[in-house]
Amino acid sequence: MSDFAQHLINGIAAGTIYALVALGYTMVYGVLKLINFAHGDVMMVGTFLGYGVAQRLGPERQSTLWGVLLIFLAAMGACAVLGWFIERFAYRPLRDKPRLTALITAIGISFTLSYGFQLDFGPLPGAAPRAFPEIIPPTEWLIIGDRAVVIWNWQVISLLIAIALMVVLQWLVYRTRFGRAMRAVSFDHRTAALMGIPVDRIIAFTFMLGSALAAGAGILYAIKDTAIQPLMGLYIGLKAFVAAVIGGIGNVPGAVVGGLLLGLVEEFVVGYSSSSWRDAVAFGFLIVVLLVRPGGLFGRVAAEKV
Amino acid sequence: MSETLLQASGVGIEFGGLRALRGFDLEIRQGDLKGLIGPNGAGKTTAFNLLTGVYVPTQGEIRVCGERVNGRQPHQINHLGLARTFQNIRLFRALTALDNVRVACLSDERPLFSRARIDELRRRTGGRSSVASAMDALNNYVDWWRALLLTPGFQKEEAELTRRAEELLEVMGLSHRRDEEARNLPYGEQRRLEIARALGTRPRVLLLDEPAAGMNTREKADLMVLIRRLRDQFSLGLLVIEHDMKLVMGICEDITVLDHGVTIARGAPERVRQDPKVIEAYLGDSYLASHGMAVPTRTPTSETPSA
Amino acid sequence: MTLGPRLRGVVPVVLAIAVLALAQLLFGHLPFFVYLASIVGVNVVLAVSLNIVNGMTGQFSIGHAGFMAVGAYTAGKMSLLIKDVAISGLPTAVSDQVQLVGTLLAGGVAAAICGFVVGLPSLRLRGDYLAIVTLGFGEIIRVVVQNLDVFGRALGLSGIPQTSSLFAVWFCVFLVILVARRIVGSTHGRSLWAIREDEVAAEAMGVDTTGYKVRAFVISSFFAGVAGGLFAHFVPIINPGSFTFVKSIEVVVMVVAGGLGSTTGAIVAAVFLTLLPEALRSLFLQLGGLDTGASLAQKVDQIRMPVYGILLVILMLVRPQGLFGTREIWDIVPRWWPRSRKGIT
Repeated sequence: MSDFAQHLINGIAAGTIYALVALGYTMVYGVLKLINFAHGDVMMVGTFLGYGVAQRLGPERQSTLWGVLLIFLAAMGACAVLGWFIERFAYRPLRDKPRLTALITAIGISFTLSYGFQLDFGPLPGAAPRAFPEIIPPTEWLIIGDRAVVIWNWQVISLLIAIALMVVLQWLVYRTRFGRAMRAVSFDHRTAALMGIPVDRIIAFTFMLGSALAAGAGILYAIKDTAIQPLMGLYIGLKAFVAAVIGGIGNVPGAVVGGLLLGLVEEFVVGYSSSSWRDAVAFGFLIVVLLVRPGGLFGRVAAEKV
Repeated sequence: MSETLLQASGVGIEFGGLRALRGFDLEIRQGDLKGLIGPNGAGKTTAFNLLTGVYVPTQGEIRVCGERVNGRQPHQINHLGLARTFQNIRLFRALTALDNVRVACLSDERPLFSRARIDELRRRTGGRSSVASAMDALNNYVDWWRALLLTPGFQKEEAELTRRAEELLEVMGLSHRRDEEARNLPYGEQRRLEIARALGTRPRVLLLDEPAAGMNTREKADLMVLIRRLRDQFSLGLLVIEHDMKLVMGICEDITVLDHGVTIARGAPERVRQDPKVIEAYLGDSYLASHGMAVPTRTPTSETPSA
Repeated sequence: MTLGPRLRGVVPVVLAIAVLALAQLLFGHLPFFVYLASIVGVNVVLAVSLNIVNGMTGQFSIGHAGFMAVGAYTAGKMSLLIKDVAISGLPTAVSDQVQLVGTLLAGGVAAAICGFVVGLPSLRLRGDYLAIVTLGFGEIIRVVVQNLDVFGRALGLSGIPQTSSLFAVWFCVFLVILVARRIVGSTHGRSLWAIREDEVAAEAMGVDTTGYKVRAFVISSFFAGVAGGLFAHFVPIINPGSFTFVKSIEVVVMVVAGGLGSTTGAIVAAVFLTLLPEALRSLFLQLGGLDTGASLAQKVDQIRMPVYGILLVILMLVRPQGLFGTREIWDIVPRWWPRSRKGIT
């Protein structure tokens, strides 16, 4: 029973990270109908940036409230810019081309980033994994029973940060003009343009938002898992993408639910069998869901207008 | 009395909360030339999409040559004898004119088990025969092996397909475009090619979605003659969506008028043209008022503007 | 020179056998050449087979390495099991080749079955989903193989009899090209292209789009499996690391750079993109000697992937149709071989 509870907590912790990254995927797919394969790698860049900032701050300052805030904001800000850059120069020129073209570009960017960061010269970090500094020094906040279930401080803080980010996003998408414009563009970008919505700007903003969220998720992941390496974006990104599809791609609450579900399923499967099956779980889960509900849990299989 | 080739009874569809079509009835028999008109967004193409299986109706029933086709795949419905053209031309742009038609002709040839036998089996089991599916699968398997091995039988079949496609191109006056890529054809010829392609599937009913769109007066006149000729030459039943009133009134014997997803009038061209409901739908009630005609009481229509 | 109907199917095959047998005799004893030619050959088979699905049918499968892995492990395992068994009455060399053919077929069929199982549900869904599912399939295969003792876990399988040869590999190359050509030339191939152009219209014209897509997928997977089987028989060890997502993307780059839909393009791109890094590697080793040369050669490997990435991006921006677009070599070079009409073999 205590095992179960521990798995539950770990699953939720992992799930919120997947959810944050999945949100970026789903938002971009919503406005552009594009699977941004490079999303996970933008997360990776953010994580390394955060690492760099933390190193600069030094072990003292990096764990203060301001230090942590700076790390997050720096990473998220930089990734927002990176996201803007990618959209502006790689995706926008292809907006009216067949979707396959943009998909291939996305894969290209993903590879450039992830394998580029593996190279060993200049500012590039190289392939060896680094240890992300403990900017939230781990303390056990809650112990149940005889260490049967342990809840760490960083888990709770992580969860709170993730929830805060999601709440902000929710407000943004459903309560602001920008959010309305975003949703309009996701339904039909030509009509939205006719209604006077600055489609280019909205799309750029959506990208920036998604990238910033991913960077935040990356730092949270680094706090949790400590080891970071350039290929982490590929795997986490892939799983987060799976989570977005499970929830129904394009559907914002779906991404959150999908992320949490995936985190939980993965944790339980690995917990009760062996961790070497971890990578297969996500895809297995995805295939099962797609077979039963082709549009994802919350998605609608929209009839195509002929 | 000719058989009913296409029959729609009480067909309707909803997209979320939007009722795009409601209570749609239609009957096409061999030799019929019927029209479907209505203002933009009335649901005409939606009706076509329902009839051809692109959408699944949420109400009502559609029968093609006597068989219920609700929920069947479009290609299966096509095999039963229903073919269509598209409002925005949807040719296979990179393929030659000949290939466009050949692809459509292919659907008919079967190496092992004849199409008729499989259809018969399906009919008897209400469309769910696994034996029929297995026969179909085997047909396909053998088909592809013959293509790979380039067997003489296959070569003969390819030649036959080419011949049939060439014939159809000739009927539509496109023989000179045989090896031209579809995207290079002038607009009017593209429209004719679409019709040739649809005919390749050996249909019994042909649905034409705005076949005259973008044509000049001369071309439209030719089209009218062509449509009548096709009906007679291929023993078809025809349903035409059109905006050009002259064309519709000129060739259709019976016209159904849609507005906001509901049938507001039906009958011979003369009658429909003078029906106040139809006039109001197209021109608005102010027109009626200014011409001294009574505004008809509106029957409750669907809730929101349609697809 | 037009051939009678009965001969047209057979003559190219006979010709190919003759030419390849000659090549085998002349070059078959040069180990490095054979190895290089085998690597190139395997990549050509992968690229041409992927082109059938991604190019001709316009789908997007990015898990080709998964099917290659299925073929490699199936064929490899089978070879290991039967390697001490000789077919009575035949000299060992011939018996070996017969066994090779058997294992290749087994590998191909196993991969084809996987293709069917993976393709049938996912090809029914929207186009983007195939990408995810094929990606996932590749990963699942990798994880499965990595976790089962029978497949040697992370260490893989070793000791597979190295019975592959120049002839074997390039005969398979010939076969896949033949299949691709004959499919394209037939009306079935035109139907695949129609699906690529406009799936809705193809459905409306009576083409069973799902059925066709699955068939193309199965054929493509079969050849990926054969490629994997061949691979297993000329490298000393096969392990999960040879069949990662990276490999899948490499093949995708070849098909896209060559031109989606062009068999010629796939061949040219595969040859070029396989030889280039090898050539660079050899060059650095020659020039730099053991120390700097070796590390430069290593750099080639490392830099290959980000370069592929940038290549894809630039390609999509500048020339998305790739090198050949959808054309084949005979659309560009005037043919001395009289052909009846465009579109028929």
